[in-house]
Amino acid sequence: MQVLLYRFMEILRSSKSLKAKGLQVLPPLLSECVSAGFPSPADDYIDLGIDLNEELIRHPTSTFFLRVSGNSMNGAGIHNNDLLVVDRSLEPHPGHIVIAVLDGAFTLKRLVLKGTTLCLQAENPDYPTIDLQKYDNIQIWGVAVYSIHSLNIIKSSK
Amino acid sequence: MSQAIALIDGNNFYVACEQSLDPSLVGIPVVVLSNNDGCIVARSPEARELGIPMGQPYFKVRYELEKLGVVVRSSNYALYGDMSNRFMKLLAQHSEKIEVYSIDEAFVQINRPPDSNLRPWARQLRALAHQNLGLPIAIGIGASKVQAKLANHLAKNISTHTGIFDLYTNKDQDFWLKTIAIENVWGIGPQLAKWCRIRGVNTAQELRDMPNNEIRNKLGVIGIRLQNELKGKACLPIQIISPPKQEVCVSRSFGRPVTNLRELRQAVSTHIVRASEKLRRQKQHAGAITVFTRTNPFKPSFYSQSATTQLEVASNDTSILLKASLPLTKQIFQPYRCLIKAGVIMQQLQNSDYLQTSLLCLYTPEELRRRQRLMNTIDQLNKRYGNGTIGWAACVPKPNWEMRREQLSYAQTTRIIEIPIVHS
Repeated sequence: MQVLLYRFMEILRSSKSLKAKGLQVLPPLLSECVSAGFPSPADDYIDLGIDLNEELIRHPTSTFFLRVSGNSMNGAGIHNNDLLVVDRSLEPHPGHIVIAVLDGAFTLKRLVLKGTTLCLQAENPDYPTIDLQKYDNIQIWGVAVYSIHSLNIIKSSK
Repeated sequence: MSQAIALIDGNNFYVACEQSLDPSLVGIPVVVLSNNDGCIVARSPEARELGIPMGQPYFKVRYELEKLGVVVRSSNYALYGDMSNRFMKLLAQHSEKIEVYSIDEAFVQINRPPDSNLRPWARQLRALAHQNLGLPIAIGIGASKVQAKLANHLAKNISTHTGIFDLYTNKDQDFWLKTIAIENVWGIGPQLAKWCRIRGVNTAQELRDMPNNEIRNKLGVIGIRLQNELKGKACLPIQIISPPKQEVCVSRSFGRPVTNLRELRQAVSTHIVRASEKLRRQKQHAGAITVFTRTNPFKPSFYSQSATTQLEVASNDTSILLKASLPLTKQIFQPYRCLIKAGVIMQQLQNSDYLQTSLLCLYTPEELRRRQRLMNTIDQLNKRYGNGTIGWAACVPKPNWEMRREQLSYAQTTRIIEIPIVHS
């Protein structure tokens, strides 16, 4: 009994310390009312639940969220109003979908190498490809790592 | 292995935070205003080049700024606080120990490599801060905190140093120390600077080489410590753990003078709500509350008053603290006074995990737990859907005495509905 109580406290503590790091943790599957009978055989296998923050955010200090506006990346599965997870610590390479700063605004495109020149390419035939050499001041702000698309089943908070 | 200490801080930190999340502000003159849109507290290099002085009251230069096309922003502490957290975590990853000194500066301790050259480390750190966070930083390195602070000053103000300066390994240490006026030495206030100048001590180098009995007579052991630090003997250790907060203070200036009790009460209630949220976040309970208010000290018949009450049981429950604060507000109020500021201070803070319980407690343990759950739920709703989603009736949703923040940018990193837009 004492062992069980100790374990419960331990689980509580670990979930508390995770919360202090700003992460959401699902409640452990152990109820507060410990029955007097046999301990549940599942107790030793209690996980902390799935944490999407941990799954989607590799580098918390350099990860930012952006909201997508427009349809130029539909071919890559990124749609209007999607939530974009952007990691600024990753080095952009050809093939990456990147956030570039163009004329003082964020632009989402795929970075591609055409021959020897780098281009920003849309994934939608209606949009032109941007040749990076024609601009003298383009900054790659970050690399998109996930796009979260709502299926509109649950009404979003927006 | 020798230890080095670096002072690292952000250049024009508030402006840099704004620019980091809003690329339309890059390369143009931008200024950030203090609380209540009072004074200019940060300028982009472009704004500095236009000759806009620091600390200038906004209302005096408003039209001039408009004419020059300067972009003005109110202080967005949600954004700056989040960027500061990220910045400090980055520094912690690249150093042995870190002491967060203010919102945009920290002392860190690092081991010197065998060849003593810390430039590669500093260059990498600058590149990371720029790439990961969009923040320009300056790094000053020395053998002590005082040296690090001076080195930081030299890193920032001498353009050829490109944001990095190591005083300890520099061959011309004396030359550089001579360029630093006594007023710019960390720990020398205006009074002391005057005292030094009378004695012909005008620079950091002269202070370092001053006879130490003279400095001991004037400043005691603190002066000796300062001198040793200047010589490169570390006396002030890096303090990793900041001591738990002794008090929580929330105060604001009003957007316009307040003269009636009703509005003062609304303001105090709003501050109480904020302060109790802070207490819960820090896992602390308050044992006493002070409420204060004042008029403009630069106008005749200055009035300032405060009142304190002892709580029977320490608490961080908003409704209990609100109830306790209302009679205090009545005590400090005087009619016909143009109040310009009000605030609350939570005192005698105790750790929530080791609370002293009282037999006089109004609530049963079960009720206490339920109230705690209620507070948690409210905090979480407000966090998720924005402050004020759940409020208290004693406060007003959009009071007209509220602090002026006319040019506030969005909470771009902390609220999902205010994140920046990327065009696709």
